[in-house]
Amino acid sequence: MKIFSVIILLLIPCWVKSQIDSIAFKYNGFVDSYHALRSESPNDWMSSRTRLRSEITAEKKNTSMFVSFNAIYNNILDDKTGFFLREAFFRYNSDQWDLKVGRQIVTWGVADGLRITDLVSPMDYSEFLAQDYDDIRIPENGVRVKYLHSSFNLEGVFIPIPEFFQLPVDDVNPWSVMRSVPMPYTLNMDGVPEKKLSNSEFGGRLLVFLSGVDFSISMLRSWNKIPVINKTMSVNMDSVYMQAHYGRMDMLGADLSVPVGEFVMRAEGAVYLDELQAMVMPVALNATLAKNSFNGLLGIDWYPGNDWTIMLQYSHKYIQNYDERIQAKQNAGLGTLNISKKLLQTTLALSSFTYYDVTYNGFYNRTSADYALTDQIHLMGGYDWFSGDKGSFAMYKNNSEYWVKAKFSF
Amino acid sequence: MCGLILCAMPMNAQTLTGREVIQKVKDRPDGDTRTSEMTMQLINKTGSSRERKIQSYSMDLGKDKKTIMFFLYPGDVKGTGFLTWDYDLIGKNDDKWLYLPAMKKTRRISGSSSKTDYFMGSDFTYDDMGSRNVDEDDHMLLREETIEGHKCWLVESTPKTKGEIYSKKVSWIRQDCLIAVKVEYYDKMNKLHRKLELSNIERVDGFWIAKNLHMVNVQTNHQTILTISNPKYNIMIDESAFTVVKLEKGSL
Repeated sequence: MKIFSVIILLLIPCWVKSQIDSIAFKYNGFVDSYHALRSESPNDWMSSRTRLRSEITAEKKNTSMFVSFNAIYNNILDDKTGFFLREAFFRYNSDQWDLKVGRQIVTWGVADGLRITDLVSPMDYSEFLAQDYDDIRIPENGVRVKYLHSSFNLEGVFIPIPEFFQLPVDDVNPWSVMRSVPMPYTLNMDGVPEKKLSNSEFGGRLLVFLSGVDFSISMLRSWNKIPVINKTMSVNMDSVYMQAHYGRMDMLGADLSVPVGEFVMRAEGAVYLDELQAMVMPVALNATLAKNSFNGLLGIDWYPGNDWTIMLQYSHKYIQNYDERIQAKQNAGLGTLNISKKLLQTTLALSSFTYYDVTYNGFYNRTSADYALTDQIHLMGGYDWFSGDKGSFAMYKNNSEYWVKAKFSF
Repeated sequence: MCGLILCAMPMNAQTLTGREVIQKVKDRPDGDTRTSEMTMQLINKTGSSRERKIQSYSMDLGKDKKTIMFFLYPGDVKGTGFLTWDYDLIGKNDDKWLYLPAMKKTRRISGSSSKTDYFMGSDFTYDDMGSRNVDEDDHMLLREETIEGHKCWLVESTPKTKGEIYSKKVSWIRQDCLIAVKVEYYDKMNKLHRKLELSNIERVDGFWIAKNLHMVNVQTNHQTILTISNPKYNIMIDESAFTVVKLEKGSL
């Protein structure tokens, strides 16, 4: 018996090694360092952070595991310094099924930088939109399954405990949304839905890929993931109390993508049923107001050749059965324009991306240059320009900044 | 690309027109499916170089072709995928999708204009990397020449429509294996723009292939050396491999 046990113990490492040997490991990622300086007085640092992103994939036959994490040192925001798990999921796929279980990013729709049907993964607005758009997404912990066909996919998503937008509310953060509050305030963000089955998020999407057209239809039982913050004044009218609200919301949507010669036309639309609306001050402490809204987007991408790309989008929101107590306008429009050009055998990429708030005549423009010093090292620099007296860009009109970034990919 | 790396039976030049030569080149046997790993060395005029590595799979469906490519190197493009449904019919735009792993998103891109763009900063255009309908150009058989002991046909091809990157190209096509061993591309001013030379021509799985393609932009002195390794033909792969699902997976 003793000899048998010894043999078993000797064989276990061999078995483990053979298992590991049959797994293909991949490790890649990048180190980047980003620094931004306010272009007007007091010319303070708006951002200063260095990050290691690691991505590990282990793959064996039809199964795989993916883990990505960030190790960040942030000189401005202490709570953003540390080790942060980004995605961690395992995956099984066959000719007909693709299953992902774990923390993962889910992207829906055809819009760029705008959210119409793309409501599953929320956003980290710690530095508003002055981060790379792919860094802003927050992964969700859930299950995603796809039935695969040669010309269509049927996708189901179940998220037991939804994540919500991260808003900058810390006073030390130059991007804090509280900086626009002109008097002392109390903010209560405790309204996050309870962690129970009935508060889960779930939905599905049918995607069809055909010659000359892609389209999808989608539905999602979700929440307004950006908290609606209603405000009320103190009795003495010398301070303001703010309460964050989250409400159940259903989304029915569709999108379309059609190439036409040098152009690709994109369209996306969704109705949000019972979307919670922010109300004009003052409101009763726990008052909320939900309305249906219609959200649409039209986009056109132009590829004129010579490494030019021009992308134009317009999105529109219409609130049904409008009520004067609603803070937003009944009709609101937002446009984007992205112009990019690659030069010097694509080692230099110039781009200019603009959000234009049609409703309030404000904008945010990021103009940047990205130079590939080597295959691994990119040097980037640019200017973020905010303008507007009302609307979502107004609170950042003094946040225009110069920025530089270096990135080493491995 | 496969239009340049070809094989067939020797032909009698006297019975052929330029178009017939190019048609033979296009029709050369290269299996119904194929895969290879491509390494591109991009060298600028100062001699500094960059590298790109791609795993490519393709499948013929009649005269049409589906191709899926996965970018393996460098790190910042690793995981990027490119899917093309390439149609032979003139006037029908190709279907193209690009998967960007950082965005976790597949984007449909224009099927027509990108053909004249350079592929990943190389000196090859997307059009060079794909297949081209024979009747998109007028072809003229100029003469015969012998290069390194191999009899070649010289064919001049002129695009029928505007908007192409070249005003004409002249191909030296080896008569024994129907591989173009040299191609010269001329710009709109009719000046020599790019020169392509193919070497390491050998038979793999019974099919001729040029494993080394050297493209030089003589106007900028930028050059690209494309090396094809581990080519395989008639691999077990079906049409479901050439879908957005596989593109997003990052491998077949």
